[in-house]
Amino acid sequence: MILLSVKQLRTWFRHQNQTIKAVDEVSFEIARGETFCLVGESGSGKSITALSIMQLLPQSNLQQHTGEIRFQAEGKALVDLASLSEAAMQQVRGGRIAMIFQEPMSSLNPVFTIGEQILEAVRLHFSALSEAEAWQRVMHSLEAVQLPDPETRVHSYPHQLSGGQRQRVMIAMAMACEPDLLIADEPTTALDVTVQREILRLMQALQDRTGMAILFITHDFGVVSQIADRVGVMQQGKLVETGATEQIIHRPGHAYTQSLIAALPENLAKSQKHDSVEDQTPLIKLSQLQIHFPVRKGLFRRVVDQVRAVDGVDLEIPRGQILALVGESGSGKTTLGRGILRLTEPTAGQVAYDDTDITQMNRAQLRRFRRHMQIIFQDPIASLNPRLSIAAILTEPMKVHGIGENSEARLEIARDLLNQVRMEAGALWRYPHEFSGGQRQRIGIARALSMDPSFIVCDEITSALDVSVQAEILRMLLELRARRGLTLLFITHNIGVVEYVSDQTAVMYQGKIVEQGKTEDIVNRPRHRYTQQLIAAVPRVPV
Amino acid sequence: MSEPVKQRQSYWRRILGHTFVRWGARLGLLWVAMLALVGVFAPFLASSFPLLLSQGGAISSPVLAYLQPLDVVLLAGFFTLLLLYPWRFTWLRKLLILSTVLALAALLAYTWIKPQQLVIYEQYRVAEAAGSYDWVLYAPVPYSPKDYQRDRGDTGLEAPLSQQRRSHWFGTEQNGADVLSRMIHASRIALGIGFIATGIAMLLGVVIGGLMGYFSGVVDILGMRLVEIFEAVPTLFLLLTFVAFFGRSLYIMMVIIGITSWPGYARYVRAEFLRLRKQDFVQAAEAAGLPLPSILFRHMLPNGMGPVLVAASFGVASAILAEATLSFLGLGLVDDPSWGEMLNQAVQSSRFNWWMAAFPGGAIFFTVFAYNLIGESLRDAIDPYLSKSG
Repeated sequence: MILLSVKQLRTWFRHQNQTIKAVDEVSFEIARGETFCLVGESGSGKSITALSIMQLLPQSNLQQHTGEIRFQAEGKALVDLASLSEAAMQQVRGGRIAMIFQEPMSSLNPVFTIGEQILEAVRLHFSALSEAEAWQRVMHSLEAVQLPDPETRVHSYPHQLSGGQRQRVMIAMAMACEPDLLIADEPTTALDVTVQREILRLMQALQDRTGMAILFITHDFGVVSQIADRVGVMQQGKLVETGATEQIIHRPGHAYTQSLIAALPENLAKSQKHDSVEDQTPLIKLSQLQIHFPVRKGLFRRVVDQVRAVDGVDLEIPRGQILALVGESGSGKTTLGRGILRLTEPTAGQVAYDDTDITQMNRAQLRRFRRHMQIIFQDPIASLNPRLSIAAILTEPMKVHGIGENSEARLEIARDLLNQVRMEAGALWRYPHEFSGGQRQRIGIARALSMDPSFIVCDEITSALDVSVQAEILRMLLELRARRGLTLLFITHNIGVVEYVSDQTAVMYQGKIVEQGKTEDIVNRPRHRYTQQLIAAVPRVPV
Repeated sequence: MSEPVKQRQSYWRRILGHTFVRWGARLGLLWVAMLALVGVFAPFLASSFPLLLSQGGAISSPVLAYLQPLDVVLLAGFFTLLLLYPWRFTWLRKLLILSTVLALAALLAYTWIKPQQLVIYEQYRVAEAAGSYDWVLYAPVPYSPKDYQRDRGDTGLEAPLSQQRRSHWFGTEQNGADVLSRMIHASRIALGIGFIATGIAMLLGVVIGGLMGYFSGVVDILGMRLVEIFEAVPTLFLLLTFVAFFGRSLYIMMVIIGITSWPGYARYVRAEFLRLRKQDFVQAAEAAGLPLPSILFRHMLPNGMGPVLVAASFGVASAILAEATLSFLGLGLVDDPSWGEMLNQAVQSSRFNWWMAAFPGGAIFFTVFAYNLIGESLRDAIDPYLSKSG
């Protein structure tokens, strides 16, 4: 029984006299009780497809919006959503088709309690219900999404809940009206893996009970393999392939799907690991490193408490190896990475680089020393100064550290660096905004390399990138490591990337390192209870 | 191997491009540019002294003999700017060259140029009437701002174009001086006070705000208290007090408007620096071991200047208004005409003469309006939510 049938959907936008074909001739069907996943890289038109179905498109620069969106709820007449009036659409929206978004914090109104917000949705679609009955329904939906202690939580404001709890509330709000179709737009992307697993399980359980269909939008093939019945792959507004999940993942037909699957870190050809025993002298040695942030309150800003972001970490990073640091958000990974470079001042403990204690250096010494240790950041947009040309970004640090005799020589080095990160020398005279995310990340890597450091902290450097770009960056990084003998601290939450790239792994939980060892041991035979949980929660593509 | 260096569009080019796409901002800029030109060339546009005259075959230019040192400095600055424009220096170097030239010109002009002490405006008119010149070329407005035309008897008030013989386009004030000429010379004051007062305020605000934002902590707490103290000082009242104690001076006025309006800029810069401090590219600059001045002025300041510039364009307008207010109250300059002082004259004269109020009032209105148009357009261009292409 077909619930939703989209035919020849076309959503074009106009942007500065150009036509952008955000959704171009897309056709698919979703059966009742089925989970259909739309996968694709950023900008492929997944979200616009969802918004087109909901008729929630921005009207200002919409050029063309045609096609059929046939929707037949059980026991109701078939309607074409594309030609429905706004008033009738409002009944469908929220009532028959509900939607949840990626960022639960911004989808909830911060000035109302969650109970009031769900109640409003219920009363809108079931105006016949009495106050008590409507409230009953709110409580039921909160219980259904397994929010702990719903009687008190119903009176909480959104900021009082954690990210996972907020997403549960969003789902409760969507489920309160018992929709026939739930559209979920990257609902777990902003969440940690353990929370993601719970949310995915919850959605499956709700689906089993109510028989609703789910249109699930994601970029993560791990999630796809866990939840989807059927998959549609989108590329530049076109739906290039649809099929059963098992078929898409193991026997992709379209060339684009094949390249996507091949770019998954799980599928990348593993290079030989550097676990030679002879060179195990640590380059970086942390002993009892602590980074605490004071919590100040009151008129005189007295210190009332400490946030123990990094709480007594001992860690050794052997020369020439890649150590992956994994953990959930808030575990202190990023703070640790910055603490090693003294970008965030450690409260106590030592950081030794080749037996030199960095924490004892004064400002001037540290400034000269910085060329040995570099950092690459997560967000390729924020990490480059938008006002400077690439040439200036690359050569200024060289000049400060006396690399290259004159500006000509430094430009020559910069050209060579760009070449090493596989970019053209013409990029030197351009500005950051002219490049894509992947290109900017390459420039960030070139900047870190410009001082010829021996140690680099890579802080989630691929998590803002699409899988195909991620694969290229990781390959390039491994190659650079081999050529320059780099030692890397690779901070990430993606276990697939860890397996592909790292020699050793350390697991961080609440400011402490709970387990450290060879990557394959950690991933395949985790000993600590938390590591076991973490590894089990990672959605994996069966290889 | 040096391939042709091709500079791409920088961030500020882009922002300015977006700003001046709008016709409002273009008109505003046009008006301000016109005022600036008029201000620089005021002695050649409105002067009782002939630009050129020929007496017995010898050609001379009396207007040059009466140039004030300030006129020379302004002209020197203008032509340096014109010469610098096509060169590809960084704007910082251009600014440095310009200020050196200005300082040099000021030094030379004030030591070498001795303007005539005794100025007889009618001397050339009288001589011309007596027929002692072969030919005379006058400025477009052939009256100096303080030329009361005593040679023409008791002239006094004249409405615009009321006399066939002497064309006063904007009329004359009660002493018989030409209104247009006075307005042309007063445009210098209007522009000067706007730019210099705002410049002082911006300099103070950026330095103090930048330090507060970068170092935060104790510096920030102390700085913010200083900001609050200065915000509590009423500008107009302070100006009145200073005028009472130290007499009337344009420079005191500029300085006072400057040092009472920096807190606004300091707040903006502080907020921007607090935000930028946590940005990855600033962290990267720090990780690269760049020296503090480079981090502050090369990496942070250009990224935090947007809101300051927007505030500045409104600040220029309010400084012009402050000067006009003060002059209108009769506390402005004694000698030189300014737009506000001309309004004051209009009110004080026995009956209301519309041309004495409408023209200077209109000039103030259009100038403030022009700066507001530019400021508004700049704000929209900088606002990432409104920008057309990210």
